[in-house]
Amino acid sequence: MTPFTRCLKVSAVALSGLTLCAQGAQVPQHIDIKQLSKTVEDVVVPLPNEIFGALNKLGAVNWKEHVRSDKGTNFTERPRIALLLGSVIADGFVAVQAEDAPAVKEIGQRVLALAKGIGVGNSITPHAKAIIEAADKRNWESVRQELDRTQNSVQQAMNEVHDEKLSQLVSLGGWLRGTEVLTSVVTKHFSADGAELLHQPDLLSYFQTRLQGMPEFNVSILREIEAALVQVKPLIDVGNARIPAESVKKINEITTRLGNGIVTRD
Amino acid sequence: MNALANVLLRGSFLLLPLIALKPAVFASVDDAQSFALQAAEPYVKQGFQVREDYWGGDLGSGEKKAVRQQLFKGNEYWFWLGTEVDRAKVSIHVYDSDGKLAEEADGWEKGHFAAAHIIPKTTGSYFIIVSVEQSPEERTHWALVYGFR
Repeated sequence: MTPFTRCLKVSAVALSGLTLCAQGAQVPQHIDIKQLSKTVEDVVVPLPNEIFGALNKLGAVNWKEHVRSDKGTNFTERPRIALLLGSVIADGFVAVQAEDAPAVKEIGQRVLALAKGIGVGNSITPHAKAIIEAADKRNWESVRQELDRTQNSVQQAMNEVHDEKLSQLVSLGGWLRGTEVLTSVVTKHFSADGAELLHQPDLLSYFQTRLQGMPEFNVSILREIEAALVQVKPLIDVGNARIPAESVKKINEITTRLGNGIVTRD
Repeated sequence: MNALANVLLRGSFLLLPLIALKPAVFASVDDAQSFALQAAEPYVKQGFQVREDYWGGDLGSGEKKAVRQQLFKGNEYWFWLGTEVDRAKVSIHVYDSDGKLAEEADGWEKGHFAAAHIIPKTTGSYFIIVSVEQSPEERTHWALVYGFR
């Protein structure tokens, strides 16, 4: 490091310190959330690996037993393809946790086929290729990044052609599969901290509202999901109370049933 | 050759006003996102996974926007806010669902970048409050990205 660079870095640190001090003095310690209602953006849907990462920190998870081999039927209805696509991308994150290269490669191919089926194949081809190449090199960080890019590109492509509802179904499919795996792990090795990861009432309300806005999709699985979310809501919307083992088991039963419904034909 | 030079010269004069207007007219949330990602860059080396998705819009000076976000106990998060407007000053803070400031003390604001750090004590909804404190523009694009580890 040259003396100039060192000097620059010291100045930058000093400046940061000053900025932090100034910031600390001005930030309100409390705000009225109710007053924000007009300016609040929709809840951000987390990626499955965000939850899996938190789960991993609670103890070793045998991710291999959660890798799914059934990647689903070939559907023609676009809402069904969108749901399945989200679910398969979530499977990709599970396979990355399990460091299962053959499963990741298979998922990469499946994602591409589903994206083509829904008319957004072009935007996915480079990502699917990158997923397969990174899996070959066992570069799991790259696979994770490409799965995130895949989901983002799929949803962007859908939004560009005003298929926002299908884009929301991709998120829903991923969230359901992520919740199925989370509850399966926590059911096997229950811990209060693991169960707390299910505390996502706003996210659930978000999906409920979105599903209510899709009456034009005459697909029975969507109505099943809608009804199931009504059952799940009181189990996770517990305020400051803990989510008990029975609730986790119940949510796992519900999400497993829905997961099977998403991958198989009616 | 002279005719070609003439056409090019005239063409470039026609383009000049467009180039001059670029920051105000053609700047977009995508530009703001580039700055937010620039702020995030050093953290990737520390193991943070930065989401591809981002949230953005435009705000007037003194205006705020809240983004509701599901955070998980056990993870650590950084949120980065950026704008392409050079002399703008932006800020970002994280509050829990009760409206209590929930961020760590090492958040920072440096002109058209700002960042907030949170290690959630509980799993649940949080509010990310973004604000354009000052700006020479009437409306200022902002973009928010986040990373976790």
